[in-house]
Amino acid sequence: MSTILLSVIGAVILLDKYAFGEFGISQPLVTGAIIGALFGDVKMGIFLGAMLQLIFLGGLPIGRDIPPDGQVAGIMCSGAFFLLRITNTSGHALLIALLFALLAAVIGGTLDIFTRHYNNKLFHMFLVRENQLSMYHLLGLVTAFIRGLCIFLPLFALASIIMVPVQFPRMSQDLFAIICMSMGLANAVYLFVKRSTAVYAIIGGLCGLVLIVF
Amino acid sequence: MRLGFDRFLKILFSSFFIQTSWSFSNLQGMGFLFNLMSGAKKNKRSKIMDTHKGFFNTHPYMSSYIIGAVERAYDDEQSSTEEIQKFINIAQTSFASAGDLLFWEILRPALLLIGTILALKFGVIGPLIFIAVYTVFHLYHRIQGIYDGYNMKWDVIYIIRSKRFTTTQHVFELLGAFCSGLLFSVISLELNYLLIIPLSILFILLLLNKVPIVVITFVLILLIITIIWVGI
Repeated sequence: MSTILLSVIGAVILLDKYAFGEFGISQPLVTGAIIGALFGDVKMGIFLGAMLQLIFLGGLPIGRDIPPDGQVAGIMCSGAFFLLRITNTSGHALLIALLFALLAAVIGGTLDIFTRHYNNKLFHMFLVRENQLSMYHLLGLVTAFIRGLCIFLPLFALASIIMVPVQFPRMSQDLFAIICMSMGLANAVYLFVKRSTAVYAIIGGLCGLVLIVF
Repeated sequence: MRLGFDRFLKILFSSFFIQTSWSFSNLQGMGFLFNLMSGAKKNKRSKIMDTHKGFFNTHPYMSSYIIGAVERAYDDEQSSTEEIQKFINIAQTSFASAGDLLFWEILRPALLLIGTILALKFGVIGPLIFIAVYTVFHLYHRIQGIYDGYNMKWDVIYIIRSKRFTTTQHVFELLGAFCSGLLFSVISLELNYLLIIPLSILFILLLLNKVPIVVITFVLILLIITIIWVGI
């Protein structure tokens, strides 16, 4: 799949973050499966999506707060991994894809602020031409789409040309899972485990053990 | 007084775009006006345009309740512009905090946690279940919100205390806690237990101390580089 096409698909999916709908399609868990299917490896796509989801389980967009963009990270991790895997080992691809994803999350958050500042201009243009409300409002889709392209295009292009030297340290799938699951567990405990709900967490743990044993 | 199916559809569809032009100067203001205008009767549009060009911000799924009530106020012509504005000012903050708590802090993370555990064990069923259940909840609030807002008018604000909010919140809070325990046992038997516990404690401490997510992300990057360099 070409870098440009993947970037366009990524930017379109990213519209779901806030520009259109917020249906949950842009969550890493879902985008991992979609990008995995596009590259013909749904299983790996879902694994990557699930791991990134655990890292960004707690990034809550409350009020005016703009946290690092977990949705961007999800798309970047799976997309970059499959692009990198063409010319590199899986271990190298995993390491670089995860670093790209975390970097993209931070860049995504920053670009989100720029986009919203740019949308101020749309509002002021609307105040001048009040009969063009729909046009200026829906131009927000374009700014959101361009934001997505600005993140994905350079990083995916870089991922498609990088060739990591064989001696370079690589990341095993287990280590990748350990890091992501530690963050996921911390997020889950932070979000849900309180004095009033601790019993349910213990019951959940016991049920998990029973399911695994039997 | 009835809303009518075609107006309902217009309001519902335009509510999907409520945050499209989100800006720092008036937040969802343009989206709110766009949403309001799409469902308004033709003879009311110029008045709405003159009155609602200001600031507006609420939870995107909760905007339906407010839009429904405001459409009703313009239809029955019994409320002054000041009354409508006062309702919007109160309702937007109330629904914002109720929606943020219900969807962003509880329901979505809980469903994502369930989806992730299912995805790790059974593959594609995880994301499918997440999307299916999440869609039921947000569409329910978006659709029912328009009708409730229109039928209850100003009283729609009291719906925040109803079971549709409190029970869902409580159930998903417990489900989230249950899944946290489940995730712990799923992880502990399959991966390197010794490394997960200290890492989890480190992240919990960072989260409890309200360290910004950006900083945690950089800690994560440094941690990965260190672990790889040390050669664990």
